[in-house]
Amino acid sequence: MQFNPCMKHKLIRASARHFAETELAPIAAEIDQHRIFPRDVIARMRQLNYFGLQVPAHYGGAALDSISAAIVVEELSRVCAAIGLCVTVHNGVAVYPFLQFADDRQKEKYLFRLASGEDIGAFSLTEANAGSDAGSVETTAVRNGGSYILNGTKIFVTNGGVCNIALIFALTSLPDAKLQSSVFIVEDGFEGFLRGELEDLCGMRANPVSSLFFEDCRVPEENLLGKPGDGMKIGLSTLDNGRIGVAAQALGIAQGAMEASVKYARERQQFKKPIASQQTIQNYIADMATETMAARLMLYRACELKDAGAPFGCEASMAKLYCSSVASKVTSLAVQIHGGYGYSKEYDVERYFRDAKVTEIYEGTSEIQRMVIARSILSQPIL
Amino acid sequence: MTKQKSIWVFGDYRNYFQNRVTLQLLSKAVDLAGVIGAEVCAVVVGHNIEEWIMEYTAHGADRILSIDHPSLTSYSTEHYLALMQQLVTQRDPDIILIGATDFGREFAPRLAKRLQTGLSADCVGLDITPEGLLIQTAPSFGGNMLAEIVTEMHRPQMATVRPGIFKEIPHDYERTAIVERLPLPSGLPVPRARVIEYERAVQREHTIENATVIVCGGRGMGNKNNFKRLSELAGLLGGDVGATRPVVYAGWAGHNALVGQAGKHIKPKILFSFGISGAIQHTAGLGEANFIVAVNKNPQATMMKMADVAVTADAGDFLNNLIRELKKRIRD
Amino acid sequence: MFNIVVCIKQVPMVTELPWDEKTGTLKREAAAGMMNPACKHAIEAALQLRELYGASITVMTMGPPSAEEVLREAIAMGANRGVLICDRLLAGSDTYATSFALGRAVKKEIPDHDLILCGAYTSDSETAQVGPQLAEELNIPAAAYAEHIDISGRTMRVRRLVDNFRETLEMDFPALVTVSMERYKPRYVSFAGLSRSFDGADIRELNAQDLGMMSADLDACGSRTRVRRVFIRKTAKENVRITGAAAVAAAEFLDRYQRSISAVIGRAIEAKKQI
Repeated sequence: MQFNPCMKHKLIRASARHFAETELAPIAAEIDQHRIFPRDVIARMRQLNYFGLQVPAHYGGAALDSISAAIVVEELSRVCAAIGLCVTVHNGVAVYPFLQFADDRQKEKYLFRLASGEDIGAFSLTEANAGSDAGSVETTAVRNGGSYILNGTKIFVTNGGVCNIALIFALTSLPDAKLQSSVFIVEDGFEGFLRGELEDLCGMRANPVSSLFFEDCRVPEENLLGKPGDGMKIGLSTLDNGRIGVAAQALGIAQGAMEASVKYARERQQFKKPIASQQTIQNYIADMATETMAARLMLYRACELKDAGAPFGCEASMAKLYCSSVASKVTSLAVQIHGGYGYSKEYDVERYFRDAKVTEIYEGTSEIQRMVIARSILSQPIL
Repeated sequence: MTKQKSIWVFGDYRNYFQNRVTLQLLSKAVDLAGVIGAEVCAVVVGHNIEEWIMEYTAHGADRILSIDHPSLTSYSTEHYLALMQQLVTQRDPDIILIGATDFGREFAPRLAKRLQTGLSADCVGLDITPEGLLIQTAPSFGGNMLAEIVTEMHRPQMATVRPGIFKEIPHDYERTAIVERLPLPSGLPVPRARVIEYERAVQREHTIENATVIVCGGRGMGNKNNFKRLSELAGLLGGDVGATRPVVYAGWAGHNALVGQAGKHIKPKILFSFGISGAIQHTAGLGEANFIVAVNKNPQATMMKMADVAVTADAGDFLNNLIRELKKRIRD
Repeated sequence: MFNIVVCIKQVPMVTELPWDEKTGTLKREAAAGMMNPACKHAIEAALQLRELYGASITVMTMGPPSAEEVLREAIAMGANRGVLICDRLLAGSDTYATSFALGRAVKKEIPDHDLILCGAYTSDSETAQVGPQLAEELNIPAAAYAEHIDISGRTMRVRRLVDNFRETLEMDFPALVTVSMERYKPRYVSFAGLSRSFDGADIRELNAQDLGMMSADLDACGSRTRVRRVFIRKTAKENVRITGAAAVAAAEFLDRYQRSISAVIGRAIEAKKQI
């Protein structure tokens, strides 16, 4: 266990921070307000391996360890959570299942395109009647010749408006006639694959979250990820990984809000002195800093387990639960410290406040995380 | 007999601006020389340099060391290094001051190295102790910090000095100086850096970089229509409009108006800053704007603290009122 | 093989002044290190020259052990190898001593150097002296503030703007060039590059003894200048505050400043006579 960042992690952080502050900071408020997906910045990020963080070098990725990947998402989110979201969803839940479950042909065909960012990925499980209850998916995939015919609607798909490759969970009927979920690789341009309008959300507004529609969408058989019926297995494993990504994102938001608050508390004068000299504000800052630090250590611990090949699902859930809760609390305090200005769009904390909330909801709500954690703890033998 | 103390100023005269810093250095050298009882000596090398010999005499030099030769027609660091090295070795001056022009800042470090002595860079202050120790004040960290530097054990003491810091003495063509016209020493090296082309840079066309008045707007302008009115104010003041990155991104202004790290670096005499918080990405482009007027709802914004005049108001409202008021008052 | 050496420096990353108001000292250690921005332009120039003409790029820095970071970053940008000059004896070196050590290291490690590139200046001490003094140490020609470099055989041409003169200089190798911040906009570091820079990258470490700088020799190679004290610059700005309704504030502003504005823009501005 090592608590000091190594030189590599410092440089990864410095590089991501430099990029985020140069390219994203100037536009973060604007793209949030007008729901703009900044394609020119995304194009620059492609060249720098933001879309192949953990993909092996021979598929054109950066082959980073999990802490490095978390640091990248954290630094992007510290400035612009919506773009942090785009990157973490692409890497964490769209690319990751390819690394884990795709066959060589699928890897050859898709990984280069995904790792280079030429194609942006999405992962879509959620439906109108299937959120936390992933077993209630209603989208169907019916076998027809050498293809599957997909029908159904996916909602709240992160990157939905811009993805070129989407992993779609759909029910297939197995030889024993039981319905089981399977995962399909759907490409932009497949007939019958349509997108809805962009969602008008509270936060993460620069991310093109949308619905995806499948109307007799024909998907070739070779685009089945894993085996028929592997949906639940792929889904659970992918979500474990995705939770690390959301935790990193929440941590970045908390860090950004805390830094903004420290700066503001030093500058803002009331009663002829900086509000940072008020004990109440100092208490807020102390809590924000302490909890952000605890969140970070918890997250890196989950990353370390993952890279060591150990089970990390419970720790990923803990990190996700805690980081997102810290993000909500810290951003709320940040608005409080900023007072009326914090409630206005003139200050970034207003955006952080809106962005933080959803980290307690997506990739498994806090309630679901508690369920996962409790199950894991209760099932362990008492020693 | 003790050696006559001497403070040298290198005559850098290639254009008006360089000549002015030389004159400013002569003036400072006269002050410093007064403290330690030294003479002020200007070194002038080149071709057809009588004009400068007269000029430096009129501005305070007690002695001129000059070498006039056709082979010195164009500036050559390597020629000047060889000549200065010889002169310094022969005469052992106490102090050498060189203008921190582009030329000076390339030439002085090599000269100091060759003379195995110390050098401070781009000084904004010079002082001297009665014992003759030159106290050199040089900027660091973007000019926000100042360092006091001394060369204790080695001579001569050398400094390059930022133009515009010291006031030149008014010329007095009655003044006289000892003018030593020295021959070109033999064995000058053939310069290894050869000047192939050389031309005075054309006066640049009018751009935001050399505008005297700039009206900059940021996100605090609220909307595109408000932002557009900035050009009306700029028009009244004969200035240009600048913008921050978010504004350019939102399409309120073109990319060529972008001021900051990723855009233009400006140095206007008057800068109006409307609705700009003052993020470092923007302020990094402001250089040394002479007079800053900031308008912002938030009195604590960085830009407001940087300003000479900080108006706490809605940027759009104030702009409209300022335009109306100006129109009433401007006469032609 | 065409050999380029890029000399770079790690400087404190300062978003605000690293200044302790109470103790009146610099908090250098509080700031994280980063590569001096101008050095990135020099590396970019080297990379572009390599793309055009083929070359091997060695990056060199002198500093504390943590300065290894900037070498890794340079390798991540694309440099081939790094040299770190690191010795407590060299701490606090001025430009004279620094150029001496760098010169020794260049002669020892890359004796067949063709082109030395440096940034125009550093963001901390801003002297812009190490480049020219290194050229002097190596006894090679130099050109500062290069905006463009062309190479043809063993000769290069450097375009630059100095003191409002456009110049093209020609120099034979070996030579030293400091690169202007106006051109050669540095590329961002890619994560694949960063991975590579930690994966068996060639970084050589040298101390004062390796460079033949023994203590007896210190007068020849030691610093010439001493920093007596460092202090914060007082801003002379008055920071006049104007508040109140926008219409009143606009009138008040003009009442106070119209004369100076008028002088700058060369148009008369006068208040209307009050009736």
